[in-house]
Amino acid sequence: MTLRFPFTVRSPLPPVFASSLHRCLSIPSPSSSSSPTPLPSSDRRPPLFLRPPTFAASRSDLHDFRRWAESLALAAGPRISASDGGPDAALLRREIAWLVEDATVAAASESGVGEELRLRVELEELYRLWRARIEERRPFQYIVGCEHWRDLVLVVKEGVLIPRPETEMVVDLVAEVEGFEKGLWADLGTGSGAIAVGIGRMLQEGGRVFATDLSPVALEVARLNVERYELKDKIELRRGSWFEPLRDVEGKLTGLVSNPPYIPSSHVPGLQAEVGQHEPKLALDGGEEGMDHLLHLCEGSASALKSGGFFAFETNGDEQSEFIADLMSIKFGNFFHNIKLIPDFAGIQRFVTGFRR
Amino acid sequence: MAGFFFLFVKRSFSNPPRFLLSPKIPILCSSTSSLASSSQTLARAFKNVVGGGISGFPRVSVPRWLSSQSAAVPDLKTADGLTVDAIAAKNWPILGESESDWRSHAAAIAQSIQLIKKRMQWRKLIVRLDQMSAALNKPDLWDDPVSAGRISREHGELLSKMKEVNGYEQELLEHIDLMKLAREENDEELEWESMKALVSMRRNAKEKELEALLSGDHDSCSCFIEVQAGAGGTESMDWAAMVMNMYKSWAQRRGFVVTIVEEMPGEIAGIKRATIKVDGDYAFGYAKAEVGVHRLVRISPFDSGKRRHTSFAAVAVIPILGDGSTRYQIKESDLRIERFRASGAGGQHVNTTESAVRIVHIPTGISATCQNERSQHSNKASAMAVLQSRLDQLEMARQAQLNAEHTRSLTDISWGNQIRTYVLHPYRMVKDLRTNYEVSDPESVLGGDLDGFILNFLSYLLDKDEANV
Ligand SMILES: C[S@@+](CC[C@H](N)C(=O)[O-])C[C@H]1O[C@@H](n2cnc3c(N)ncnc32)[C@H](O)[C@@H]1O
Repeated sequence: MTLRFPFTVRSPLPPVFASSLHRCLSIPSPSSSSSPTPLPSSDRRPPLFLRPPTFAASRSDLHDFRRWAESLALAAGPRISASDGGPDAALLRREIAWLVEDATVAAASESGVGEELRLRVELEELYRLWRARIEERRPFQYIVGCEHWRDLVLVVKEGVLIPRPETEMVVDLVAEVEGFEKGLWADLGTGSGAIAVGIGRMLQEGGRVFATDLSPVALEVARLNVERYELKDKIELRRGSWFEPLRDVEGKLTGLVSNPPYIPSSHVPGLQAEVGQHEPKLALDGGEEGMDHLLHLCEGSASALKSGGFFAFETNGDEQSEFIADLMSIKFGNFFHNIKLIPDFAGIQRFVTGFRR
Repeated sequence: MAGFFFLFVKRSFSNPPRFLLSPKIPILCSSTSSLASSSQTLARAFKNVVGGGISGFPRVSVPRWLSSQSAAVPDLKTADGLTVDAIAAKNWPILGESESDWRSHAAAIAQSIQLIKKRMQWRKLIVRLDQMSAALNKPDLWDDPVSAGRISREHGELLSKMKEVNGYEQELLEHIDLMKLAREENDEELEWESMKALVSMRRNAKEKELEALLSGDHDSCSCFIEVQAGAGGTESMDWAAMVMNMYKSWAQRRGFVVTIVEEMPGEIAGIKRATIKVDGDYAFGYAKAEVGVHRLVRISPFDSGKRRHTSFAAVAVIPILGDGSTRYQIKESDLRIERFRASGAGGQHVNTTESAVRIVHIPTGISATCQNERSQHSNKASAMAVLQSRLDQLEMARQAQLNAEHTRSLTDISWGNQIRTYVLHPYRMVKDLRTNYEVSDPESVLGGDLDGFILNFLSYLLDKDEANV
């Protein structure tokens, strides 16, 4: 049995995508309508913590904002967490502290300014942002435009999945692979580029990550993160469906990691509002049983990896992981060995790893 | 020092100082050994000046220290017959180093020398040296070359140890002779130089004395100091805290590094019990002087009736043997890392800013949680740091326990074993009941000025040791 890349069509990048790869979030571009999902205007701006502190407010103004925001959080928290497992009041209050942290200039440089505080957004904007958090359930990370992940601060925005804490472990799994530092790696469906940047930072001379995604918005955000961590010479971003953009390195990869969309389609409507109403379906919906993309990845891995190559997939947990592990060790047992299930910190079998024979 | 000898040499070169020739000075002719020693001092002096070479100077021939002479214990005296012991016995008041009183310097040096001799168990050494000498004189000595070698080696070592001390004694006596001579002759220059030499010797002798005081088995180790409040509730707990603070300040003053290992606070004030780790050379050697019960008499700040109260605190000191490393080595496989407050499917299903992590160290059951950081990774790192420090503390406590076998731990210290009383009212005084050393300024003592008490106790220990010989 020979395994082939499971795709039929291979088209060169349309010019519109190529140009979007070079666009930077911080430069508002009116011609951005070529992007598939139109973005609210606020998303054209850099994340809060990177904006210049051009606004001012008094300490008591900020205090008033906090009081107001907390009262909103206290009132809405219980309802939100009860309805779909969203954030409770305690969590919302911590988010307020972080919002203020990102929106104001660090305490050390504050001193001397006295009652005046320097802000990175207008005070009214701060009110609007928090109202959207509570009333629209807009994810906190989209509001501040970043997600703290591992020891990174990654830029995120609407249109790209907010990296999850569980996924941090994928980088640790890679770090355990012997000789990973100089290897060729692929992060399929890179989204914000989280995993790729995490790996890229550990690589040495000769090491490289190919980070792919189908979504131009994701690639745009990933590019920002790659640039922010000065990894342009380590991480190559490519657009396309799964293995499609990796033909030139077929059979040469040291390792393959992916956190593909794995939520069963039927679950998508019932998702927590922050996820279901705000994050891109393309990043979540895994088809009827949630495993469409995972299966696709399993089938393609044998020809993508070199002998001895490593793979790590994140799954929806327990059942999916077992299914994938079985598939890799039984159906594709000729190609793979040392298949393992790895639990996340909540005890859910979250990852499947193994090696190409 | 060099200045003094330079002057000295210059004189001897062009015009030898009179005392070198004068028959009035018996030091040069009383015995070979004292001449030898005196000449050695001179030779050293020449060296000091010309950096090792003495060519060009009238060379004083230095007779060899004759090993057959059991008079390795020479009878060292000044011109007017004073020995070092006699000087010490005169009890001349010992003033500060800056005071130009030669008697005070001489008394201080004599005291140091006596102490060093005590520490060496001088009397025992003399007996041993005589035995060795007798053995060496046996005609059949070399029939057993191995034992002969051992005997002659021990004899040589003993001799050189003792010679060094005799050298100090000789030096002191010479300085005194010079000083007296200078006064007799109204030679101010010589007097001033002799004074300088005495001061410098005094400093030197003090250092040697300290080395001698701190030559116990574990003296050079770091240590734990434990303080426990006696009966009497808040009153004693407050006192225990004062005692602990006294040690913290004392240790910091001495340049030791202080870490709090554990602290059980009192309900209202003070501590029930606390342990600190004191890191540094000779921490144990000094601190061991503090073992026992410390008693406080004062008007209680907790008593609205303003009555006098007596409180007690017990102190134990435990040496940290071995490499003193109290870093607990955590094995990855001994850890269980849990998502704190996690529920549901997780992963892509959930968006949350909650990423708290709890790390459990399975063998000890000790755990740490962190939820303040914005990423799970950082929460994990913080929790790990907390866990590490908790395990380090456990390790310190374990080592303290282990080491306690070598010392008296708090439980062995009977509350009857009072070593010091601190009186704040009606008069002010701190008195050590073992040495009778006392100070009328309790604040400075409680502020960590303990060295007087400690050094006095250490030399008292030597006296006791010697008495037991
Ligand atoms: C769950 S997200 C993971 C994003 C990122 N790796 C992370 O862990 O945060 C899945 C990603 O797969 C991308 N994706 C979906 N379908 C794809 C396809 N056919 N080919 C490549 N990427 C795809 C989505 O755009 C999305 O960025």
